[in-house]
Amino acid sequence: MKTPQTLERSHGWRKWLLRHETLLLVVLVLEWSLFYYFGTSVNRRGMTVGFGTLDRQFDILRHSCEIGLLALALTPVILAGGIDLSVASLLGLCAVIFGQLTHDLGLSLSIAAGATVALGALAGGLNATLIAGLRLPPLIVTLGTYSLFRGLAEALTRGAVTYSDFAPRFLSLGQDRWLALPVQAWVFFAVAAGMWMLVHRTVAGRSFRVIGFSPEGARFAGLPVTRNLAGVYVLAGAIAAIAALIYTARLGQAKADAAIGYELFAIAAVVLGGTSIFGGRGSVTGTLLGVAVIAVLKNGLATLPVVIRLNAAEEISGMLTGFLLLAALAGSTIPKLVSARRNRSWSNGSFISPSP
Amino acid sequence: MNSSRRLFLQGTALALVGCLASPLALTAAEGKAMIALMPKSKGNAYFLSCKIGADRAAKELGVELLFDGPVDSNAAKQNEIVENWITLGVDAIAVAAENKEGISTALRKAQKQGIKVVTYDADALADARSFFVNQATPEGIGYALMDEAARLCGNTGEFAMITASLTAANQREWQKKIEKRLAEKYPQMKLVAVRPCDDLKDKAQSEATALMSANPKLKLIMSICSPGVPGAAEAVKQAGRVGQVKVIGLGLPNENRRYVKEGVIDSIILWNTENLGYLSVYAAVALANDQLKPGAKSFKAGTLGEFKIEGDQILLGKPFLFNKENIDQFDF
Repeated sequence: MKTPQTLERSHGWRKWLLRHETLLLVVLVLEWSLFYYFGTSVNRRGMTVGFGTLDRQFDILRHSCEIGLLALALTPVILAGGIDLSVASLLGLCAVIFGQLTHDLGLSLSIAAGATVALGALAGGLNATLIAGLRLPPLIVTLGTYSLFRGLAEALTRGAVTYSDFAPRFLSLGQDRWLALPVQAWVFFAVAAGMWMLVHRTVAGRSFRVIGFSPEGARFAGLPVTRNLAGVYVLAGAIAAIAALIYTARLGQAKADAAIGYELFAIAAVVLGGTSIFGGRGSVTGTLLGVAVIAVLKNGLATLPVVIRLNAAEEISGMLTGFLLLAALAGSTIPKLVSARRNRSWSNGSFISPSP
Repeated sequence: MNSSRRLFLQGTALALVGCLASPLALTAAEGKAMIALMPKSKGNAYFLSCKIGADRAAKELGVELLFDGPVDSNAAKQNEIVENWITLGVDAIAVAAENKEGISTALRKAQKQGIKVVTYDADALADARSFFVNQATPEGIGYALMDEAARLCGNTGEFAMITASLTAANQREWQKKIEKRLAEKYPQMKLVAVRPCDDLKDKAQSEATALMSANPKLKLIMSICSPGVPGAAEAVKQAGRVGQVKVIGLGLPNENRRYVKEGVIDSIILWNTENLGYLSVYAAVALANDQLKPGAKSFKAGTLGEFKIEGDQILLGKPFLFNKENIDQFDF
């Protein structure tokens, strides 16, 4: 069976130039250069400061790890035609649980971390059961677990307890460097590589796109739809738990409000990366580029003198992210509508997102 | 179809250029020291009031003041903003910490880069900053409340106290100081009851009502938690005993303005938030210029004069009394 990926790839380098990922890369390089040019200066103590410092680049990497992991977790989910709004809430829950395991139960770091990831997978299993097993709509199910997980985290800490005082060995996961890069970047890269292998190089991974494209078709074709669909939600839960560990280590604290709103940035990164929100089309590379574009935008804006003086980096980056997202969506949808209308047919070899 | 998609992405990129071209005219201010001030949350009127004082100090000192913080009280955001300030190479940072341990990671990193750090309003861990600008000691708060209560009662009579809870550490501490002052200075006054209100205005109101009927000779209700002040005031007003039972407490001007103007509340006690911002900026600048060093015993901050330093805490000094005459100068 030919997947969209192989179809597009078969058109050679000229097609490659026009691919979504390539264009995203151009946007990324462009925004990075702009921030480098406008966001770097020398302060009165003669130090180079701002965007152009190595520290800033590491900050960008560190800040993108958690949202990046959630975006990676969401890529197969969205590819398979689903959505998971609960990942950031689960991150909060896992952070709190990890805090309790290490502080209240006194478990060792590795056991507590293992248990936290297992719990993340278990919580993902709840989504999986409801969505793949009972075939309930993922938007509603994960909207429910979005509240449920966050609510649990708040209830466990009565909304007030903050776990801190973690062992330095654990904190180094989020604050130190290993082989020149921030430690958590290696974890992020490892998960990214694993996810790329899964999505692009395995049978199960290819089936995600088929399921997203047409779940009924996939069922008739004899694909293990229920099993694979359940798998992506369980995996998402486990990755959210890993993100929770990194988040906790970076800040040195675990609190019920950890990562509030991160799911929206993660979904934005996935969609910006060219994955169709209706499923069936997309790539891990695109997601990684989407994460990078958003992370550079968020961090870069905060180094621009005009933004600093407005004290509104957060607000402006929110607006620009929204703008980028809309532009990318329009960029990938409008041409299709135009060509579809022109050809009066949707079967001209291009892949169109199935309308729900 | 792909070329039009490309067009869109190029358009996006162009729009980005447009957004970013404007800062060209505005590069970092030449030679001015940059001081960064962080509130717990930047829309909070309490901190906006601090900023008024901070702006005044920055103007007097000729430094550039950055003011940024989370939109809501978010400890993670505070760290990210501090990290951003580090790469901006600011000269000093003054932070009101949302989370003591969490922020300390970022503040230590700033100190390693040679950036001076002070905290104000809410402290970080001691090794993550040089000084804490302490807005109020328990003694200052407790004594001011007791002295004001005694003044209003003519140094004699019964009064009652409303606290947030009987266990909260800060409430316990304030209560102890109040009782100490009472025992030492006001033998004619009697504390008849201490009731918890769980930091709820409604509960404070019903507790105050109960206190008034259980103690007919009650002359004053003092609340040491902020929701308790308007709660007690509402109870006194509804009981029609305005003037007979006076209300004072630790609270915010905006929550109590109406009652203060109606004469239900005689005075509320807090610190002067503008002075807190002013002092914090002065301390941060003095640290950055090596004029203020650990071990100093006092510190002069512009027009406000000398402030006492105890250990690594700069004390803002006596609490501030808000009453009918001055309450309209404050908006928080």
